Amino acid sequence: MTDRSPEISDRRPLYERYEHLIGQALAILIALIGGTVLVLLIGENPLLVFATLVDGALGSPERIASSLLQSTPIILSGVAACIAFRGGLFNIGVEGQLYMGGFAAAWIGFAFQMPPVIHVIAGLLAAVAAGGLWIAIPAFFRARYGTNEVVSTILSNYVAILLTSYLTIVVFKRPGGWSETPGIAETAYLPQLMTYSRLNLGIVIAIVAAILLHLFLTRTPAGYGMNAMGRNRSFAEYGGVPIRRNTFFILLASGAVGGLAGGVETLGVHHRFMEGFAPGFGFDGVIAALLANGNPIGTIGTALFFGALRSGSLLIEVDTNASREIITVFQAIIILCVSAQILIRNRRDSTQGERRWKI
Amino acid sequence: MEDLDRIFNIALLAATLRTTAPILLVALGGTFTTKAGIFNIGLEGQMLMGAFFGVLGSIWTGSAWGGLLCGVAAAMTFAATFSLFVVTFRANEVVVGLALNILAGGLTISLTKAIFGVRGSIVNNGIVGLPRIDLPGEDLLGPLERVLSNHTPLIYVSFILVFVVWLILFRTKFGLHVRVTGEKPEAAEALGISTARMQHLASLCCGLLAGLAGVHLSLGYITMFAENMSAGRGFMAVAVLIFSAGDPGKVLAGCLLFGLSDAISLRLQSFGLSSYLVLMVPYLITLGALFALTVHQRPRIFRETLQSLNVMKEGAFASTKRKTSK
Repeated sequence: MTDRSPEISDRRPLYERYEHLIGQALAILIALIGGTVLVLLIGENPLLVFATLVDGALGSPERIASSLLQSTPIILSGVAACIAFRGGLFNIGVEGQLYMGGFAAAWIGFAFQMPPVIHVIAGLLAAVAAGGLWIAIPAFFRARYGTNEVVSTILSNYVAILLTSYLTIVVFKRPGGWSETPGIAETAYLPQLMTYSRLNLGIVIAIVAAILLHLFLTRTPAGYGMNAMGRNRSFAEYGGVPIRRNTFFILLASGAVGGLAGGVETLGVHHRFMEGFAPGFGFDGVIAALLANGNPIGTIGTALFFGALRSGSLLIEVDTNASREIITVFQAIIILCVSAQILIRNRRDSTQGERRWKI
Repeated sequence: MEDLDRIFNIALLAATLRTTAPILLVALGGTFTTKAGIFNIGLEGQMLMGAFFGVLGSIWTGSAWGGLLCGVAAAMTFAATFSLFVVTFRANEVVVGLALNILAGGLTISLTKAIFGVRGSIVNNGIVGLPRIDLPGEDLLGPLERVLSNHTPLIYVSFILVFVVWLILFRTKFGLHVRVTGEKPEAAEALGISTARMQHLASLCCGLLAGLAGVHLSLGYITMFAENMSAGRGFMAVAVLIFSAGDPGKVLAGCLLFGLSDAISLRLQSFGLSSYLVLMVPYLITLGALFALTVHQRPRIFRETLQSLNVMKEGAFASTKRKTSK
């Protein structure tokens, strides 16, 4: 988007001026076509599936609340991923940090007695600490030795999911229960915002976290250094940004917020830790952050969109023969289209088509 | 001692061959893209597509070989999509790879439900598994017969491919061009080699082998498809590729390590250890190896940086040199 008035100074051809808008429209159009083809392949009526999706996401106040509820962990995971992206790093391990954070918060919730507000804060702090600790080793090796953080964080997801399952089912199993820990004390519940939905204070925490990150990036010197690092590492180093130390702390912060996402989910929604309690929220957050190009405020928007998709997909599963995973296919196609479109836009700016997040 | 015997015996070796083969196949596929200078995080998705369409093809055609063809074709389609976005549209490798992995996960589950009306897994719908080969001559091989015989053809193929891939990469013009593309793209272009074309071809080779790996998972020893049955093997292969730098011999060594840990961990379950802890072992070993070997590589990187700095003029770079040599 140009900030100059097009009549006065923008002499570029009409096509180039609106190129990025055309690109984005194309991305959505292609994703819609791809989704339609898939729905047809499955033997369903695309119009019916899309209508069900919209109805399931936004059809009534309860469903809108449910969409917001589903968005909460995605916003927080997205913020976690944004922190890493903006520093030029990838944290694909948000899913694992979310599981660790969720378990830590639940443990504080069921194993300790505390006064109301303090109990919630303690639980959330434990989640933050667990998420940070979970990424600490990959972060250390990335900062010190340049070990590829994409692979190490992905692999640690698998370990985190298995470890929390072990702790839940073998160590802390609720007697007579089914693969879940005992419920947390009521003092540790995140307050609900309405009576007819489980929507809770978590959504506020998530939006505040995104805004805080935005302010940090745009208003503080440290945020400026982090941005510089993400855009051009060697230039930032030349400018005096301590790359190694920053790499470590950026990943640590990213993991901590990932843990918070899990803590908010257990204290606000499930009130216990269950095996597989949050399938794919961390991954959705990473995608939401990618789609928003690492912009925290934009991530709120894309995460709300994904939350609505998730919420709508539940009705798809009930009302049609399509499975709810069909929305992950939509998400993937959109990401693919946008990833190509980013580069169509950039190609003229830098002849080499420099990659935004180079490993 | 008795317990150790229960873990370490001939059956373990045979099991190791079985568990090594899929990760070895997919990692060998990755050597092509690694050598061509592409960081291929999409291996997991290609493998999953191979596994799913292998099962589908075997049901459709009533033959394991039809399944193999279908699985490989699906994985190669995914690989072609990957290189189309990464090479032609110059999109970020990690973003495209992740998107395709997610696409593969969603697509296989959606299609499972649409075609078979079930969630989770496809079992026993007339799936034809790969045949097993009985090596002749028990007296010829002796006790090794129990290790080497009675495997599916893909096992033997995977180990032979280590040598074949090495030959292709280091003894053919194609391999040379792939390596030049990865190491010095400017030089490749100057010589008239189309780097884009080489990267597309390398990606297709990768898809071929990743497809075989997937087919081995679903039609090899157990004949079924379960959601996300690749279970991170594609990512383990990426880890192997990182610390082996795509060298087929080192890839084999790394994959044998993971195959062995996988086989041992399966046995540990029979000792009453919690399956959750046991299943963690291969991931932990991969992570450990990734960390340990990148630390090991570090001095070499320092040395090379120093050398390249020495080549440059002193003075302007003196301060940098001191920093790096620490």
